[in-house]
Amino acid sequence: MRRKCSILSGTLLCLAAVAASAQPQTVEQKAEVCAACHGAKGIPVDKTYPVIWGQHQGYLYLELRDFKSGARKNDLMTAVVADLSRDDMMALAAYFAKKTWPDLRQKSAPDAEAAVANRVNVSIGCTGCHLGQYQGDATVPRLAGQQHDYLLKSMRDFRSRARANNPGMTDLMKATAEADLAPEADFLAGH
Amino acid sequence: MLMPDMPVLRRLAVMASVAAAGLFNIGSALADETKPATLYGDMSSVTQDMLDRAGQNGNDFLLTNGNYSQQRFYPNAQINRGNVARLRPAWIFQTDLMESMETSPIIVNGIMYVTTSFDHVYALDARTGEELWHYQQKLGPITTYCCGPNNRGVAVYGDAVYLATLDSKLVALDAKTGKVKWSSDIADPEAGYSETMAPTAVDGKILVGTNGGEYGIRGFVKAFDAKDGHVIWTFYTIPEKNLGVWAEKDATGRDLHRDIATEKANAPQATELYKRLGGGVWQNPSVDLATRRVYFSVGNPSPDLDGAARPGDNLYTDSLVSVDLDTGKYICHFQYVPHDVWDLDAVSPTVLVDAMDNDGKVVPAVMEGGKTGHVYVNRRSDCGLIRFSEAMVPQENMWTLPTAAGARMLPGANGGVEWSPMATDPSLGLVYAINLHQPMTYTVTSAPYPNGKLWLGGAFAVIPTEAQWGNITAVDYNTGKIRWQVKTPEPMIGGILATAGGLVFTGEGNGRFAAYDSANGSRLWQFQAGAGVNAPPSSYNVDGKQYIAVAAGGNVQLNYKRGNAIIAFTLPE
Repeated sequence: MRRKCSILSGTLLCLAAVAASAQPQTVEQKAEVCAACHGAKGIPVDKTYPVIWGQHQGYLYLELRDFKSGARKNDLMTAVVADLSRDDMMALAAYFAKKTWPDLRQKSAPDAEAAVANRVNVSIGCTGCHLGQYQGDATVPRLAGQQHDYLLKSMRDFRSRARANNPGMTDLMKATAEADLAPEADFLAGH
Repeated sequence: MLMPDMPVLRRLAVMASVAAAGLFNIGSALADETKPATLYGDMSSVTQDMLDRAGQNGNDFLLTNGNYSQQRFYPNAQINRGNVARLRPAWIFQTDLMESMETSPIIVNGIMYVTTSFDHVYALDARTGEELWHYQQKLGPITTYCCGPNNRGVAVYGDAVYLATLDSKLVALDAKTGKVKWSSDIADPEAGYSETMAPTAVDGKILVGTNGGEYGIRGFVKAFDAKDGHVIWTFYTIPEKNLGVWAEKDATGRDLHRDIATEKANAPQATELYKRLGGGVWQNPSVDLATRRVYFSVGNPSPDLDGAARPGDNLYTDSLVSVDLDTGKYICHFQYVPHDVWDLDAVSPTVLVDAMDNDGKVVPAVMEGGKTGHVYVNRRSDCGLIRFSEAMVPQENMWTLPTAAGARMLPGANGGVEWSPMATDPSLGLVYAINLHQPMTYTVTSAPYPNGKLWLGGAFAVIPTEAQWGNITAVDYNTGKIRWQVKTPEPMIGGILATAGGLVFTGEGNGRFAAYDSANGSRLWQFQAGAGVNAPPSSYNVDGKQYIAVAAGGNVQLNYKRGNAIIAFTLPE
């Protein structure tokens, strides 16, 4: 119950911030809206929100683009990107990509869970795109040290097509056993 | 630009600033800074005559696959069956980047050019491994590549070194300094285009294809002017009329299990199909200088596994294609796998040899190592099939269609022969291929193209409980019979080199780099490189000593241990 309240209050705060964002000018001002949810110091206000500080520019841009086109659905983000141009989105992506990835102090996964993650990698080849150490590059996101609950939610959303802007990830998650997703999230969060 | 006393970081900073300055200096940097080399010059400027004779040159290694025929047969026998056991490292160069390496070292008059992931280029003294210059491409924010930030090397021509980049640019560097001479856009990376191949330089043209078979692109081969980077011609691998002949069988006569009636019913709506049907060309073409024809292999249709939205044979995907060198005009094609829904395409670079046809007559032929596990031998005249080899890896349940739940079929989607270039020994009539055995399931789902993101139309998943392995296979290309095979503990990817010393050299993901007797496959020498050796070897000769050079950087796609080494081997004094 406490967790639900926390999500709810986080969402309300974010909504308020979005509503208050009238015509900002500089990229720093535009980025203030983002801080309401993704954190003023890069640590998101809710466990299911992703770290965007230090994430790759190409990936951040593509996601903003997809929120705007509706390919990726999220009411909050749809409102945030509604008036952004391609240049705005690219500039915001560059702004956050230059920030330092925050340390969320998530624990390393136990060996048994790491073994599951390694088996998943052998099967579907995660590091073929996300690269060694799951650091990503350009349009492929960093996964190492990402928020645990966001990782798990994303994998499940890809699997159920609730997140439909990357059918390749949907296919890979559907080829992965549901039971393997939680150990995978533990492994990536603590990696 | 030698800066031996400068600390590495500072040296890199200077290099970067020099390179950046070059970017803004494109127009003025075109004037030749050195006189064109001649037969009597310093031979460091690469002439067309040198490239024409590359196959007989036992000193340099001027083209990615040895010569324009791409035979990867090196005509120097100093290192041979009798002495290879004494081969030792001469030097090791460590790049600044610990990531997958697929570079073919190019050697011009004692200078070696190599590349790394993320488009770094190094010029090295081939005698010592000393760094002469280092160029790092400043990549744009959008790069879309399916299988690692790889680069397979440079082309050399005149006084320039040519690099094709992950963000789909062609860059000409001054061979002496690494400064940018010019840079041209090849295609839009946000639409799914990228480059990992080494370009091919011929007769004032720089030929380059494109990646993107997993991204809904329209494949092509382009010829750029070597002097200034303007496009001379473009050949699209996907013609507007791509339905073909509704082939029911593959090149080996096996039923593809197509639902042709449904495909025909869907065809009238597929008028825009050519814009996103894939067909990447990401390996070097071979060039037949006598007929001025270019031969290349065209990759898979997009999306890989979902054929529902792409009725027809999907021409010219999964095909051998020949075009005119001077105009880029279509000459002929041969499709190995029509309407492919397994990504078992034609990737490995084509190889030109003279081979026996089925009437016993020796004819100009072109070979391709398929992911299917066959080496295909075709006529150069009309692209028609002469023969296909015995299968080099297990084939099971071909061609079982992908299903929603996942269907098992062998080979897995990496092959057979992946991109790894083959080698030949024309004196033995053998072609050498390295193979993977990776049991997989093929799953299909339908979804629209997600603009610049991976678009597979399903998934290939390795079956973790089944054994994987690889092999080195020698095929008699005059009969299609396997002459010898060496099994390796892991699937093989990277490439192979044959030499006049009666040897073939190739590496493994576990770090073993080895020499084999090219006549019978006996392993005569090996070296543990400490990281995956998953790149094609080269050879060269400086000051009377033959060297074998190879990158040990591991591999992203198969997750082999990463490294950052270029290793040159030679015989002790």
